[in-house]
Amino acid sequence: MMDYFSFIESIIKNGKKRDEPLKGLKVVEVTHFIFGPNVGRILAQFGAEVVKIETPGEGERFRIGAVFGRFYKKCNLVYGIVNANKYFIAADARNAKAREIIFELVRRADVFIENLRAGLADAMGIGYLQVRKVNPKIIYLSCSGYGQYGPLSKAPSFDVAAQGVSSVALKTGWEDVDEFYKLPDYFGDYLPSMIAVFAVLSALYYREKTGKGQYIDVSQTECLLRFLYDLTYYSLTGEEIGKTGNIDPTASPSGIFKTADGKFVAIAVLTEKQFKALAELIEGLENEDRLKKERIKELNEKVEKWVANHSLEELLEIAKKKGIPISPVLNDVEIFEDPWRWERGSIVKVKDRLIGEVPVPGPFAVMSATPGKIKWIARPVGYHNRLILKKWLGLSDEEIEKLEKEGVIGYWDEMPGMAPPPTWKKEDDPIFKGEKDEPG
Amino acid sequence: MILFLRVRKMSRDEILKNIFMEDEKPFALQDVKVVEICSENFAAAIAGSLLAEVGAKVTRIEFDDEAKNITPFGVKVEDSGIPYLVETRNKEIIRYEEKVKDLLLSADIVIDGMPPGYLDDLGIGYRQLYELNPRIIYVAVSPFGHFTSKAKEFKNLPDSDLTAQAYNGYPTLIGNPYLTDKHSYPLKAGIWAAWTMAGVNAAVASIIALIERSKSGKGQFIDIATNDALVVINAFPIIIGFLFNKPRGRFGTVDYILYPFGYYRVKDGYIALATPTDADFRSLLKIIKRWDLEPDWRYSLDRISDDLDRIKILDEELNKTLKNFTTEELIRAARRARRIKMLGKLIGRFLGEPVIVKLNTLKDVLEEEHWRTRKAFLALKVDEKEILIPNTPIKMSETPARIIKILNREVKT
Repeated sequence: MMDYFSFIESIIKNGKKRDEPLKGLKVVEVTHFIFGPNVGRILAQFGAEVVKIETPGEGERFRIGAVFGRFYKKCNLVYGIVNANKYFIAADARNAKAREIIFELVRRADVFIENLRAGLADAMGIGYLQVRKVNPKIIYLSCSGYGQYGPLSKAPSFDVAAQGVSSVALKTGWEDVDEFYKLPDYFGDYLPSMIAVFAVLSALYYREKTGKGQYIDVSQTECLLRFLYDLTYYSLTGEEIGKTGNIDPTASPSGIFKTADGKFVAIAVLTEKQFKALAELIEGLENEDRLKKERIKELNEKVEKWVANHSLEELLEIAKKKGIPISPVLNDVEIFEDPWRWERGSIVKVKDRLIGEVPVPGPFAVMSATPGKIKWIARPVGYHNRLILKKWLGLSDEEIEKLEKEGVIGYWDEMPGMAPPPTWKKEDDPIFKGEKDEPG
Repeated sequence: MILFLRVRKMSRDEILKNIFMEDEKPFALQDVKVVEICSENFAAAIAGSLLAEVGAKVTRIEFDDEAKNITPFGVKVEDSGIPYLVETRNKEIIRYEEKVKDLLLSADIVIDGMPPGYLDDLGIGYRQLYELNPRIIYVAVSPFGHFTSKAKEFKNLPDSDLTAQAYNGYPTLIGNPYLTDKHSYPLKAGIWAAWTMAGVNAAVASIIALIERSKSGKGQFIDIATNDALVVINAFPIIIGFLFNKPRGRFGTVDYILYPFGYYRVKDGYIALATPTDADFRSLLKIIKRWDLEPDWRYSLDRISDDLDRIKILDEELNKTLKNFTTEELIRAARRARRIKMLGKLIGRFLGEPVIVKLNTLKDVLEEEHWRTRKAFLALKVDEKEILIPNTPIKMSETPARIIKILNREVKT
């Protein structure tokens, strides 16, 4: 019989592939920053046709939000990745005709996503109650800081605000330093966005069975609260756990330690079996009450000394032989250069038609028969105006030109993050002209 | 006879509350059968929980009691740890025995949280189940996945949130870059960030496969690696590796895309502060009466740099000034600063408003009327004592997600 790992590899690499799972699903989004856009990104990774509506000129406000202000051939890769595989329309919502176009797109959609401030979509004429009248099968997702109803619903939010309001902010930091640190890389946006994708897909599954659409309200703060086990702890003990430095209060010993060769390792002993394996290696490691706070600290002191006498390589050998959770602490470059990630497809190179070859994260999950694809990264503001207005609304070139002249629809400002690369030529681009679709 | 009725117009809040009422509505996935088979791997349990929240019939098969013992500082409810209590929502729990193969074969989705190859050795892995039931959707959750040379080499490495955070690079980003000694060590995130993301990713992928199966009639294998669950979503280490070839370090309250974007000490506590746009930043300067900073730090590109020492100049000025204000003063001023000029009946020019909120304690959260209105917590009665459990965050109008039972006890909102 084939080795298990080779078997799984063979079905992933060489197994028969089927059509994209969400092919034919029409999605429209009026979104900005990360929470809303990441929902469309994931749906587009698996074949949905996602049309993003922006404001002509600067587009949505995150286009300018490049890491350390660095753009690549005028493209903001952060924005580009969170909006990969999408189609870009720019219509000025202050204009009545533009609002009609937006409304017409939404009424043809299977899924609509917005993450404007609660109530703003209603003001734009594309609130749930307005859209469901003409499209009762719509799955309408509103993403916000605190949800669509309740006293805080209209308060402004953002990743760090949700972390603060949910009390998650008070959980990260050193016990003896009067500072708190945010969960990095916009966790307060990305986690809720994945939960929102889950809700949309559940609704889609239900719609396929019954034909019924629905309204979904996802709050980023509630998504963080969902995984705050401290809440139950507090209701049982009356105590708030707060910051615990590198100790995971559910694991003992647990922490981040320095090795003999000056590297860092994370160790978290969760089970009795793992504890016994470690106790065989470290003298005097007693199991009694090991999850009590002071005991975790005592055990950690012993582990710290032990780790200091071993190199990272030795510790990883021990981890795999003895079955103890031990891991190197990787930095950005180590992650980027990690051969495992490239072999697995967690990092892939995309040949983007406008900006050339760039490394991007692969599909968020490896699926053997219907793998996700990253086809292109974001396009300039209004880049697909012609293509989508023809394809979805059946407008002619003349009608589209008229809309352009009237300022109803528009294109990019010549700014990084919004515009195509300097080498791009309009006359050589049939997709921009709406003559053909994006390949792939 | 003509009746004149005065009908009070319902507010948006009231209408929405009605729309989201749970009543006797169906669940979205009520015809879906899921088997979650795992021990201490909570990423796999979280995947099962989400599916259970939207109504899938989830059976958890356990090999031992290890998951019950994983709990903050050893605190338990009867014999269950807190994460176990929270993540067994709506589930049936059974102990592993040989006859579970029939249960696995009748499942729509199997979530495998055991070490890679373990179930295959028992004759109940994907290879065997697929042979007998090609419709099966099999989701594997493990540190390095179920393929690649590294996955094979580390197949006996148990999973944990902390080690997965480390392999995703989180701890290298957290902390104050100016602290020394042990406080300069990498620092972990204070919640199960990696396990949570991996669990949610697994749940999302399983429904994608479910929707696809309704067209093709066939199942498939899905692989989730907790050790890359954060990076495949947020992408930042890849972008940094490609553009800079130099790792970011700890950046404290400073950020690398937006500034200010973090936590600040004020007169009576801490706030979270964000100025997503230049207009928001200008608005903040007006509120704290520091317009003198505007010329040097006008544009967002002025306020972000990989040179931390440069940004520190602005950061120190803000820190110094913000300490003169109370949380309430700042929040009230921010609210006043919100001026949306109406053009016609619609959106107009946005003059900026910094996002300012208090860093809440759990006590603050529980006292907040908003979360009660939205039923963010559930109460569970154990030994005459009421304990709180986080509710599902998913609000769906036609098929409300909800928790019916936890460890065979009914729950109330």
